Amino acid sequence: MPQAAANTVELDEHLMEVVRALHGAVKQGVSHKEDTKIMEKAIGDCKEILDVIMKGDVKEWLN
Amino acid sequence: MFTDKIELIDFDKMDPEYKELLGHVLTIQADCEIGGPHLYVEKMLPAAPTKLDQLIVARTAAEEIDHFRKVARVAGDIGVDVSFVLSQPNEKRFVDTFRGLITTWEDNSVFGFLIDRVGRYQLEEFYDCSYLPLQRILPDIVTEELGHIEYGYNKTLELVQSGDAGKAKAQKAVDYWYVRALDMFGRSGSKKSERYRHWGLKRRSNDQARQDYIKEVGPILTQMGLTVPDPNKGRRYI
Repeated sequence: MPQAAANTVELDEHLMEVVRALHGAVKQGVSHKEDTKIMEKAIGDCKEILDVIMKGDVKEWLN
Repeated sequence: MFTDKIELIDFDKMDPEYKELLGHVLTIQADCEIGGPHLYVEKMLPAAPTKLDQLIVARTAAEEIDHFRKVARVAGDIGVDVSFVLSQPNEKRFVDTFRGLITTWEDNSVFGFLIDRVGRYQLEEFYDCSYLPLQRILPDIVTEELGHIEYGYNKTLELVQSGDAGKAKAQKAVDYWYVRALDMFGRSGSKKSERYRHWGLKRRSNDQARQDYIKEVGPILTQMGLTVPDPNKGRRYI
């Protein structure tokens, strides 16, 4: 078996959580289309998560 | 031509060229998956025309992050760390198309319609490929890419049907992204492309895949009432 790269499993698990959280926020917003406040909260939650991912500071995520 | 199917457990026994090519193609694929959100999240998440569109931008980004995760796992398991692309500045992306920033809704729409379609083509190259762990992650990724393409198509069509100004914006965006889409397939006479095919990692030559794309997209653009750009104009890789 080849030697896996460092943090392969940890990064995989972390990103799985991130994706789950994003889908959760999107679902919350989409299922309340008539409620502006809930939609805005969902968009804000997505932005907060995506800002961290776009920074790409893997070391910080896995600390 | 190599026709065997390889599992992770067989990887160490493989020819160094196979290992190098697989690691390379996974790195580029990972970069392209995360390169999309890096192009559109910053400006389009706050500026999409409706709240629902904003959430769809977020959902699309979530799916691309998940595609990155899956490709990164396949790469990581063979010892190739692709995590550096998560913090790579856009101007250093492997593929030119991902260097920059999407700042308009029409660009975001056409990006989904045309560039995610190239993404689908690139993924289809791995169908029935010799490395089974890569083959296994494809169905879900391709299904989600089809959703991105359809959304991009619908939003582009909405623009076209909104009147002359919207149609002009859509055409301008198509003129910009179509050329980049064709360049994404790489050089026609690429020797590396031949080696990918030799090892059963890709199915088609760069030019064959590009011609298939041209044949698919041209009639769709025409049906939408848009002009198909000259496929040779402004190209970097012929």
